Amino acid sequence: MAFDPLFLINVGFYISFAIVFALLAIGFNLQWGYTGLFNAGIAGFFLIGAYTAAIAITAPSPPATGYPGHLGGYQLPIAVGALLAMVLAGSAAALIALPTLRLRADYLAIATLAFAEVVRTIAINLEPITAGTIGIVGIPRLLEFSGPNKPYLTTATIVGVGAAIILVLLVALHFIVESPWGRVLRGVRDDEEATMAVGKNAFWYKLQVFAIGGALMGLAGWFSVMALPYLEPAGSFAPAVTFSIWVMVIVGGAGNLKGSIVGAFVVYGLEWGSVQLKDLAPPELKDTIPYIRLMVVGVLLIVLIIYRPDGILREKKRVLR
Amino acid sequence: MAIPSKLNTSMQTKVPPRRWVFHLTGRTRRQLLRGALVAVIFIAFNGLLAALFGVTILNYTITGLSVSSIVIVAAIGLSLLYGIRGFANFAHGDIMALGAYVALSVNLSGISLIWGAIVSFVVLAVVGILFEIIIFSRLEGRGPVAPIVASVGLALIIQNGIRAVATTRIWIYPVAALPEIQIVPGLGLDPIRHILTPAIGLLFVISVHILLTYTNLGKAMRATADNLELAKATGIDTKRVTYATWAVSCSFASTAGVLLGLASFLRPEMGLNILLLIFAAVIVGGIGSPWGAVLGGLTIGLSQEMSVPVFVWLGQPDVIGLVNSSAYKVAIPFVILIFVLIIRPWGIAGRPPAFARRVFFVERITQALGRGTTTADPAEGNDGG
Repeated sequence: MAFDPLFLINVGFYISFAIVFALLAIGFNLQWGYTGLFNAGIAGFFLIGAYTAAIAITAPSPPATGYPGHLGGYQLPIAVGALLAMVLAGSAAALIALPTLRLRADYLAIATLAFAEVVRTIAINLEPITAGTIGIVGIPRLLEFSGPNKPYLTTATIVGVGAAIILVLLVALHFIVESPWGRVLRGVRDDEEATMAVGKNAFWYKLQVFAIGGALMGLAGWFSVMALPYLEPAGSFAPAVTFSIWVMVIVGGAGNLKGSIVGAFVVYGLEWGSVQLKDLAPPELKDTIPYIRLMVVGVLLIVLIIYRPDGILREKKRVLR
Repeated sequence: MAIPSKLNTSMQTKVPPRRWVFHLTGRTRRQLLRGALVAVIFIAFNGLLAALFGVTILNYTITGLSVSSIVIVAAIGLSLLYGIRGFANFAHGDIMALGAYVALSVNLSGISLIWGAIVSFVVLAVVGILFEIIIFSRLEGRGPVAPIVASVGLALIIQNGIRAVATTRIWIYPVAALPEIQIVPGLGLDPIRHILTPAIGLLFVISVHILLTYTNLGKAMRATADNLELAKATGIDTKRVTYATWAVSCSFASTAGVLLGLASFLRPEMGLNILLLIFAAVIVGGIGSPWGAVLGGLTIGLSQEMSVPVFVWLGQPDVIGLVNSSAYKVAIPFVILIFVLIIRPWGIAGRPPAFARRVFFVERITQALGRGTTTADPAEGNDGG
């Protein structure tokens, strides 16, 4: 097989989307792995981040026949878009957590899943703001290149920026979760009553973590429109996205941030690989491959939660010193 | 029966006086009165609507009742399982879809849909017990999150299994469309959607009431839901109760799925889309309480469908001009759900926990009103309805 230069771009695409999923997985791991808050609406916060960023940074849409147009045309700097995405997704997370955090974990799961589906329905139907199912197009890239090497340079920038974000986040979060603040989070997860008994306001900590996790999911939304300058609401933000993130975090280990990144690359790698190898499959199976892949995700969820609930790369055991 | 002989003998020593089937305690009477009051207000409200906007607006109420019946049948099953196994079964919607497709496959082999629904009822009961044996019995005592994750895995397997086998095309039950029964011009009842569906819903509600009130199995189920350890100590075989609950839950879901398929058509996502409605109904009504599921189902189904004319009005160009405005009706159950979680997290008919923690701003408000913070008054929680 001759070397296909397009393959390089394809790999870059894989890496940039694995970074998107890694950001989502880190956010979810902060919420669930460290604090025990089970979020079933990851896709909803992801969507809020993606749309906020896209609307903030995109130029006004040119009048075209059949295109409903969307809110926007603010042409804000890309970094401001990222900030707005984080703020909006984080405050949405705090709002949805407010009534549910004091109840059992399953109420939070149901409320967040419902929230994600409502947000997706709104994104599909609210055409004046989101352009409906057609989606937002013409989102600016991080850096504009010209010349024959344009696609390579664009991909390389995205991968580089993504890797830098992940690295900075890892270092920052490492210090945060090892700080006294992070210790309280693990206390809330392991024994909420005991944590409250030593004078920590568990609700306030849970609210903070849920908002921070939501903000990271918003950042993932911003990075996804950087990686692919196009938005469509129906498929990209389906509940299946949330479920894949669960698999990634469980594979990587609850309470292990590096594990979440590994999990994101491995699980998204399976998905991407199954798409790449589609041509090798027998033709009668070709159409069912995506369904079989999702069934495998389901089996993985069940098997992992039964036999390895703490994940394959689990959190380091901590001993009292 | 699921009650071992130990319980029977202990009951024989002190046989309670046989109650008449429709014996009314003071509490039941109060609840009936309150229910009648709500029903009268509801009918008066509909009468007012009909007087203001013409009779055709009542079509939305009728659709709401039909949607409610489907939600109620499914929500009863989910609520029972939630009460006994203590987790939210995220696969319930897809179990509904599975039931609908099983009935379809029986129907496609040339047998009538009624037999298809019965076969699907039985098959799903067995499948439900298998789910418990293969997956969920291994997750007992692991808190609410682990079974939720497993049920989502199960949902993914069922939904994509349907896609792989039955393809993503839309299937329609080959049932001859019967002519609408006209009550007054502009207001018709479809024999299947508007008469059969609520009738089956009512039948299931009555049968689950009889099951829970008058059979030993039902009493054992209530005891297990109330306190697992105490039920075990009394000698109830909680394992068999759990299997029975899975069977009831999944078979009810299969019938709800067939009704849902009859109401429109079958597609692999049908279960996931109605799951949130069912969850909202269960939580609004109160987890573990079948009567609560009925109340919650009515609240959710009616409010969703009766909000449609409001959204249609909002969609007019001279109001706001919302495009596809009636699609936003799915937000209504969510709003009600959040509202109930703030005000009354244990639901309309549920019992508040012994030391119920109020959501903090409700606590602040009640403090400000001078009611104090004694929220755990069981008498207050019992008379919901």
